[in-house]
Amino acid sequence: MNLLFSAGDIGPPVHITPSPIFEIAGWQISNSIFYGWIVSIFLIIILFVASIRSAIHPKGGFVQIVETGTEFIVDLLKNSLGSRLKAVKYAPYFTAIFFFIALSNLLGLLPILGEAFTIHENPAFRPFTADLNGTLAASLVSLAMVQYFAIKESGPIRHLKHYFSGNLINPLTYIAGIYELFAEVVRLFSLALRLFLNIAIGEIIISVFAYLGKFAAPITALPFLALEVGVAVLQAYIFVMLTVTYLSLAIKHSDTSDHEFEEKLVHTMQSQKLAK
Amino acid sequence: MIYLAELTGNVEVIGKGLMLGAGMIGPGIGVGLIGNAFMNAVGRNPESAKFLGQIMVFVAIVELMALLVFASLFIIK
Repeated sequence: MNLLFSAGDIGPPVHITPSPIFEIAGWQISNSIFYGWIVSIFLIIILFVASIRSAIHPKGGFVQIVETGTEFIVDLLKNSLGSRLKAVKYAPYFTAIFFFIALSNLLGLLPILGEAFTIHENPAFRPFTADLNGTLAASLVSLAMVQYFAIKESGPIRHLKHYFSGNLINPLTYIAGIYELFAEVVRLFSLALRLFLNIAIGEIIISVFAYLGKFAAPITALPFLALEVGVAVLQAYIFVMLTVTYLSLAIKHSDTSDHEFEEKLVHTMQSQKLAK
Repeated sequence: MIYLAELTGNVEVIGKGLMLGAGMIGPGIGVGLIGNAFMNAVGRNPESAKFLGQIMVFVAIVELMALLVFASLFIIK
């Protein structure tokens, strides 16, 4: 590691992969999934208390933050899906994933992480989103939910027509459909890699600048810590935003043919003329 | 075996430096183009400043490439 900064020291602690800390019945538990459980329990308690204590006139406190975040996600869904009815319908899942990712990222910046506590020379805690397995699971669940919502909205046959649209005798339809299915896999990995790399590299940057600062580490690492607070919420927003975009693409006019579209257009134009 | 030219010394540093330098060109241009388009749009129509959130999404999409390069710095041996 001293190749990067040839100061002759051991270099900053850099971890790209999680490390196992203990075993439960033959299953190795890594530090990231362990911290993920802690965050999940914390989040369940927070959201449960917020759901009880939420009121028309909130008295402030963390309940208001939860309400603001929920309203933010509902607004985002409304802009993408078109109506508030649909937005409220899909809000529970997207709000949950937004709060989980944001809270994982933000709690991942606490100073108890990293080399503060170690088990068998491995860090005891690691943010859940700084582990490719964790973000891959999150994006897999998100895209599976998108497929589930789309099938529930338009039925399995019409949803498949979304991929294989056009004349079914034409072989080009199948090539385009397979390409569309391949694009889903690309989406899965791009969602997972984006979240993982942003958070993991944020950790590395903080650790590198704390190392370079030596005795002045709090001063040199602080701007990057502040940057990471912004990145933490921004990445949660981007994850939800992209998932919502995929959902809106999957459920929007999935089977409207050109002919029907023209009919609708003529109909709306006529009604506008009548209104005048 | 006779080599035409042989590189001695710390080749790893050269390789990593070349990778980081060459890999950051594309994302740099990409983020610059996004910022250029956004500022142009805001200059023409100040109402479009509300699309900053969407701009952040596109910056994140481009940024992924730069992050891949930066991560491979620590992964490759």
